[in-house]
Amino acid sequence: MTVANDRTYVADSVVPSSKPAPAVSPGTLSHAGGWALVAALLLIWEVSARSGLVNSQSWPAFSQVLSATALTLYSGELTGVLASTAMRMLAGFAIGGGLGVVLGLLVGTIPILHRLLSPLFEAVRPLPIPAIVPPLILFLGIGDELKIFVVSLAVMFPVLVNTTGGIRSIDGVLMQTAKTFRKGAAYTLLFVTLPAALPAILAGLRISLSLALVTTIVAEMIAGSGGVGYYLIVTQYGMQPDKMYAAVLCLAALGYALNRGFTFLEDRLIAWDRRGDVSA
Amino acid sequence: MRRGIPIMRRVPLGLLSCVAVIVFWQVLSGRAFVNPALLPPPSRVAPAVWNIVASGSIIEPLTQTLGLLAVGYGVGCVLAIGLGLLMGFNRHVYNVFEPLVELLRTIPKPALVPPLFLFLGIGAATKITIVALAAFFPVLINTVQGVRGVDPVLLNTARTFRRSTLSTIAEVVLPAALPMILTGMRVSLGLALTLVVLAEMLIGSTGVGFLILDLQRSFAITDMLAWVFILGVIGVSLNAAFETIEHAAVPWRSK
Repeated sequence: MTVANDRTYVADSVVPSSKPAPAVSPGTLSHAGGWALVAALLLIWEVSARSGLVNSQSWPAFSQVLSATALTLYSGELTGVLASTAMRMLAGFAIGGGLGVVLGLLVGTIPILHRLLSPLFEAVRPLPIPAIVPPLILFLGIGDELKIFVVSLAVMFPVLVNTTGGIRSIDGVLMQTAKTFRKGAAYTLLFVTLPAALPAILAGLRISLSLALVTTIVAEMIAGSGGVGYYLIVTQYGMQPDKMYAAVLCLAALGYALNRGFTFLEDRLIAWDRRGDVSA
Repeated sequence: MRRGIPIMRRVPLGLLSCVAVIVFWQVLSGRAFVNPALLPPPSRVAPAVWNIVASGSIIEPLTQTLGLLAVGYGVGCVLAIGLGLLMGFNRHVYNVFEPLVELLRTIPKPALVPPLFLFLGIGAATKITIVALAAFFPVLINTVQGVRGVDPVLLNTARTFRRSTLSTIAEVVLPAALPMILTGMRVSLGLALTLVVLAEMLIGSTGVGFLILDLQRSFAITDMLAWVFILGVIGVSLNAAFETIEHAAVPWRSK
């Protein structure tokens, strides 16, 4: 599933058929038709560009895009750009995710904080990310600080909301059991609340991961100084569509890899949570 | 998980935190260490908002932005629900489209603005397409999951009563999948708003997104913040409107 803005994801982690549909299993015969469709579309792309049916100025053949990808990755042109984007993204994800979990734990376990702060969060959250970039440029410039800050902010809310929601929907019996056994607040938080809310927290983090990538690119596009977002704009204006598509291709691969990597980790971390299997 | 009505109950205390932030901002921007040119206090932003609203200059950019949003979002959702129903209902359709969908949805949508710009130019078509694309995938995936998650007993019952495929979809599958579809649509709404603002910033010369960036570049900070505030209000209202519709459409979902 893609980007978030919502409490929805709380529901997401609780409702059975919630994890993303298991991704494609390449090679399975049942998908042969699907891959044939992909191949056919790529073929049409190739032919339409080569035959000059479509204005080839902005429509390079797929093979040209592939060779541009290989070339720019090998020369380091695109590799460096991708690496800088990934670095900013991960920094923002780590900061925003950490803050989101900590704040979410606080807000989720202390009812008064929930009543005080959640309307504030609700009011700030729906603000579209691109809108906060221009004001922030004034304070943070157009460098890494700006982008990392914006990404952290974008990442924080889904994680926060999911963490809070996860905690608030914990089975009351669990908490009462902890109380019956006279477990301290810290113990309860670490060994009861946190594990119980972990599926919801991880769902929030997973959503935030793709959001982090999107936000990094958005910030790089608006406050151009580097990174893939800026690269896309530059290659577009410089009429180098093969390089531009190469960047899009690499971004898709990066997004896919991040998502698969996270799902892999998630399955290991919450192996007891088999609810995801229902949707299969 | 409590949904819905409790929002009303939370408001008074919650209002306090919002007010506190505004007061803090007001006090902060009077201090020496914050340049008031960069962060005008709320007492100056509020009149600017009022001016924009009262003078009627709010109308044109807002209709522009909301119009693009409505068309793009509408097109994206309708297409996604249509394909999603087919994919969820028919195994073959699912197999044919799934690899393509999996490949395309991993592309971060903002990255598609420059390519679309090359093809469709700086007009509304580019913006509508990007918004529709952004809205499409979350709704599609949720519709497919919603349809596939429909209780088989329901489907068998419909079959027992000799319902046609069409009436089964309309009367059984769609209502049963509606909560999931609406969840996807809500996620899409936020994304669509983000993309429309971004597209306006990157291409063309109209709409709220363009205005915000333009005002920042011409250093009209107070007006810029006023527009950011207006956009925030739009975001909150859209969200609230959607929640209301969601409650009305699937009342059985909220406990």
